Amino acid sequence: MSISIADVVNDDATLISRRAWSDPELYELEKRGIFGKAWLFLAHESQIRESGDFVQAYMGETPIIVSRGPDGAVYANINSCSHRGLPVCRSDHGNTTKFVCPYHNWNYDVTGKLVAIPQERHVKGRPDKSKLGLKAVPRVESWNGMIFGSFDPEIESLDDFLGDMRFYLDAFFARFPQGIEFYGAPQRWKINANWKLPVENQLGDVNHGPFLHAAVIPPEANAEVFELGLSVVPKPGHGATFRLMPEDAPVESVAWGFEGMATLLGGAEVQDYLREIQAQAKERVGPLRSRMKGLTYGVYPNLSFLWSNTAFKVSHPRGPGQVEYWSWSVVPADAPDDFKKIMRGNHTAFFGPGGILEQEDSEAWVQQFQGSKIDYAEDRPYFYGLGLGEEQERSDMPGLVSVTANEFYARHFFRRWRGALEAAQG
Amino acid sequence: MSDEKMESDCYDPAKVTPALQLDVEQFYYREARLLDNRQYQSWLALCSEAIHYVMPARTNPLVDNSERGNESMISIERELEGADSTGTPIRNETYPYLMLRVERSFKPNAWAENPPARTRRIVGNIEILDVQDDRLSVTSAFHLHYSRPGSENFLYAGQRRDVLLRGEDGYKILDRVIIMDVAEIVLPTLGLFL
Repeated sequence: MSISIADVVNDDATLISRRAWSDPELYELEKRGIFGKAWLFLAHESQIRESGDFVQAYMGETPIIVSRGPDGAVYANINSCSHRGLPVCRSDHGNTTKFVCPYHNWNYDVTGKLVAIPQERHVKGRPDKSKLGLKAVPRVESWNGMIFGSFDPEIESLDDFLGDMRFYLDAFFARFPQGIEFYGAPQRWKINANWKLPVENQLGDVNHGPFLHAAVIPPEANAEVFELGLSVVPKPGHGATFRLMPEDAPVESVAWGFEGMATLLGGAEVQDYLREIQAQAKERVGPLRSRMKGLTYGVYPNLSFLWSNTAFKVSHPRGPGQVEYWSWSVVPADAPDDFKKIMRGNHTAFFGPGGILEQEDSEAWVQQFQGSKIDYAEDRPYFYGLGLGEEQERSDMPGLVSVTANEFYARHFFRRWRGALEAAQG
Repeated sequence: MSDEKMESDCYDPAKVTPALQLDVEQFYYREARLLDNRQYQSWLALCSEAIHYVMPARTNPLVDNSERGNESMISIERELEGADSTGTPIRNETYPYLMLRVERSFKPNAWAENPPARTRRIVGNIEILDVQDDRLSVTSAFHLHYSRPGSENFLYAGQRRDVLLRGEDGYKILDRVIIMDVAEIVLPTLGLFL
């Protein structure tokens, strides 16, 4: 019989059952109540600039082709032929005029419209092709080049969904004269963990840094997080963490820090570029946001932004016990190409499947899933109560704000999660 | 492939002597032994301080119809997003990064290797492609068995494309490009010394 979600997450979300991470029945509810409902990140417009450009994406476990049509619009379609269901696109990215199913060569244009059924000339009846296009994602919207899709035709606008999260994302995006772009294809790899732990890790859990990553992150970098770090929940399920640097902080200390090792080793020119960006920050994003030196962000349900190492990530679920993790390098759009190549190193050296820091994270996530499956510990739900009730509003920034050790970002996420699963149960 | 290409692809016996082949093979066997013995500090001494250490990402590009019938249509190079690409290589590192990784390995709180992995690599197909003064271009292939307590066992496979620098104290690795033969990365880490 169906699970009582209130038994999985208590009312203030200070206690969360191990089953939340491992139960197949809850996973099915997540598919319907979260991945079938929310706005999900698909791609960045910089990846599909020209007509016919496409990239692959996922919405949960569903494969999606995101493409630029000849009309300049963005299209998102499920990558599955209307005839027998095979994928019509086998490449990660590229430019094409058509997608062709290998089985009987049904042809679709880049917008997803069915244009040819080769074998139809041998029969008398003509199928109505206008009804047999690829299944389109019913809602597709962009904000600042970030393309999202939703399977819920009735969902609120993307702007409303993001809400005040935009204020914090723009602290990074708008810092650069031409915004940001995604640099090439994402790194993709699989981790035997539940999708929610990578999400939680980036949503606000910067406090694992001094412990899990003590072998690599120097104590002074950790001290900066403890002394200047803030955690914000602009809206339940979203989160932003950053250091609010002192007004008289040296420009270098804001423009790059420990996490800017590639910049530090990259030479004077790229450093001059970033110094200049930081010098203009007050003008571009205002005095408060110019002092923000980002750590990690989360956008409900499964998009993360690792500002400190300039990567966007998506945690795609593959059942309760596996994640397909995607991680893109993000660079300033206006920077010369050789600077972009230097700056992507802040991402690749520390994160991704070969990252110096990421290997510890993956290890923790895999071990947490093991812990979530063990028997005879049902009466020992995970404790999410650190800092309960200590978050407060502030007049100078939107949302609830607290120190980074306060786990309110996770409590808000799981309360939203609980509501979404209860709604899916009906 | 044309006949000329075949010819230029073969080693030059004047440059690649049996003694040189033996010398280079011994270098790689020793390197493998150091890595499998977790003697990473000793291994780092085999790297030039000017080393460029790259593991390209490997993507699935569209087939170019105009290349139909040619070996280039399915060339491995098309799949690689390395240091010079506008993509995101998995690793693209210089000496300081390798030093950081080596230092990390000898700390008890490097949790992904506590307890440490047991590895055994077989390095073969050692082919000296070219010798220019003190620089040797060498490719090799490896299989690596990786096993950690509490985890499954994994098989890593790939190719290394190296430039070795010959000096008074033996060879140093100046360039290394590691081509991983995995389509889906299900391995616990690609942060190993490969």
